[in-house]
Amino acid sequence: MMHKQRQRQAVNALIFLGPACIFLLVLLVAPIIVDLVVAFTDMAQTVRVSEFSNEQFRKIIRPNEDTWLGFELRGSFYRALAKTAIFVVFTLTIFNVTFGLLLALTTTALPDWLGGTFRAIWLLPRMSPSVVYALLWIWVIDPTERGLLNQVLINVFGFGPINLFIDHPMAIIVVANGFIGASIGMLILTSAIRSIPQHLFFAARADGAGPLSIVRHIILPTLRWPLSYITVFQSLALMVSFEYIFLIMGPARSTMTMAMLAYTKTLAPQIGSGQYAYGAAITLILIIIGVIVALLLYRLTNMKRLLAKPRIEVH
Amino acid sequence: MRLISLIVSAAVLATGLTVSAPVVAEDLTIKLWSRADRSGPLRAGNIVDAADQFNNFLAATGSDKRVVIELIETNYKGFDADALGLLKAHSVGDTPDIVVAAHEWIGAFVDAGLAANLESHIEGNPNLYGDIIPQLWDSVRYKGERYGIPQDSEVRMFFLNNDMMRAAGKSDEFIASLPEEVNAGNFTMDDFCDLAAEVKNSGASEIGFVHRPNVGPDFQMAMAAFGIDLYNDEEAKLQITRSGLQRYYQWLADCVEKGALPADMTTYSWDSVHAAFRGEKAMSKFHGVWNLGAQLEAFGIDPLDSEAYFNKITWINAPAGEKGGQPKNLSHPIVYVVADTPNKELAAMLVGLASQPIPNTRHAVGTNHTPINYSQAAMPEFQSKGWGLVAGVPLLQYAEFMPNHTRIGQYNAITYQGVQAVETGEMGAEEAAEWVVEELEVELGDDLIILD
Repeated sequence: MMHKQRQRQAVNALIFLGPACIFLLVLLVAPIIVDLVVAFTDMAQTVRVSEFSNEQFRKIIRPNEDTWLGFELRGSFYRALAKTAIFVVFTLTIFNVTFGLLLALTTTALPDWLGGTFRAIWLLPRMSPSVVYALLWIWVIDPTERGLLNQVLINVFGFGPINLFIDHPMAIIVVANGFIGASIGMLILTSAIRSIPQHLFFAARADGAGPLSIVRHIILPTLRWPLSYITVFQSLALMVSFEYIFLIMGPARSTMTMAMLAYTKTLAPQIGSGQYAYGAAITLILIIIGVIVALLLYRLTNMKRLLAKPRIEVH
Repeated sequence: MRLISLIVSAAVLATGLTVSAPVVAEDLTIKLWSRADRSGPLRAGNIVDAADQFNNFLAATGSDKRVVIELIETNYKGFDADALGLLKAHSVGDTPDIVVAAHEWIGAFVDAGLAANLESHIEGNPNLYGDIIPQLWDSVRYKGERYGIPQDSEVRMFFLNNDMMRAAGKSDEFIASLPEEVNAGNFTMDDFCDLAAEVKNSGASEIGFVHRPNVGPDFQMAMAAFGIDLYNDEEAKLQITRSGLQRYYQWLADCVEKGALPADMTTYSWDSVHAAFRGEKAMSKFHGVWNLGAQLEAFGIDPLDSEAYFNKITWINAPAGEKGGQPKNLSHPIVYVVADTPNKELAAMLVGLASQPIPNTRHAVGTNHTPINYSQAAMPEFQSKGWGLVAGVPLLQYAEFMPNHTRIGQYNAITYQGVQAVETGEMGAEEAAEWVVEELEVELGDDLIILD
């Protein structure tokens, strides 16, 4: 009897966990293993492997006796690393977190229908196809007087045309990605604000709290966990994101982040792609950096407590 | 139980549907790989026509065999992505019999064991190939042997707007003498730059000249003009010279400095580049002969009026880098490659039929490409509608091709980074040349010869 029950439990476990495990293995673990293997080969356009070597990593670092580690990063890779850091930090802090928070606070303070309308507008870039979104950006910042931004600058303010592609390329990708990223923060934070029991607001008002102290003492403390979640999740997502960078900037040197570098070396059309092993090596380094950043942020934001079992259940 | 039987029958039905109609024993199926490309639908269409022609031959012999073309039409963006897709298909044994490809991929196709050597086929069928413009054969050679048949050709050159030069005070004699002066090596790249700057500074044009805004073969003619010989055919290796690269980058930097070339050229979209020349903002542009159609439309010139066109536009080769040097231009043929499959003999014959003057002219005139056979230029259709292409044929004698090397795409991508760096002022010419050579060395390794 016991035996049968245990067997049944095992079958149930297989039915319930099986699909998730297969998903994990096939779509998440297997690609990392494939990437790891390919990074140590010489696979290029002909998709053939003739030898295993660390040749790809020699393209990324070069030996230098004078440095502490005995090697240094090559120029283009070092650049990509620095650009990735700038892209992630600025997009995350300015837009995904700060702007998302601002949107959530302001739209929940408005009457429902108005707040809802604003939130819907902010979701538009997320809902529109990425190519359409990118095309709109390209038109807005076109360096000639045909660009929307330049039309405004020339006709409304009387300035000369500006060329953001040359003068502020990183700002373009930060803002373009930020406008999309802010909406996710806005949604999560809005629902967190909505889940605060209304009586707390009433009590605060009865005690004479103004809007700013309500935000500071009631809303912000409840947003701690959602904010940590957004920080960890979005910094990892931004690190590997290249879609909008590629669509808006193309393979420009000025916005060649790590993810873009890996993409241009492997799959991007018409720009010397097809170097699968080289791209895999770059991606492998990106994965390692991602793991380190995730662990660090996990620690810094104390995510462990968020994921831990609550000590008391409050109903 | 019913659910399971339903799933099973659905699966049977699905697999049944994907299997194609039963093959008749007499059908000889030739698989043709071609990009769905609106700018050249007859590249594949001419092979299908050739199969029809071939079937007429077969029918005449009383044979009940029939050639059927199975068209594998791909949706890749550009020939590079298409070639990479083909190599992936080939690596899993899914090899077509005939491929329409950009010629510079031949090296990669040979290395992957995909392309069949066509030397004996070409030599054995002189009546099919005897009239092909000899320079075009260079585009299909890899390590001295021919692995493809040119499908079309084109010339890339510098277009100059005569009206703007006149407005800047240049005489008609000067304008008319330009092509000859360039070919004689008297008018150099620096002179071109000065001319563009002069026209712009006189107010006759808004921009001096424009070039393509992304990685591509056009830059090769400018590099060649500065003495960079990209390819060592004997060793099948790419080449670079530091001094040549530095002079080439210095020329670009000087052009920007003089005001002949916009510093943000590499951030333009293709639309803006076309609009600059066709909208009569830029005095010059370097690109390909197939622009002719769009130019005629933009300038409002009757497509049959060659005189009006050449009154407005002058074509020159890429001038030499230094006085007395050789001018250059670039041709970038699309080619038919026959794969090394059991059907290769038959496939090669179909390619031979598709390369004859009549089918090829249908493609060339329709898509503004120069012919592959000398005799095509004399055909009435070419004479009336293709006058611009006929005018382009003499330029082909200065034509260079992209090297048929696996890694030319990578080479172009890296040297283009240097173009971006010098034009935007991020680096000086010397620094950019040093940096590009290092990148080339790191990425290409043994496939690169550094000459100095």
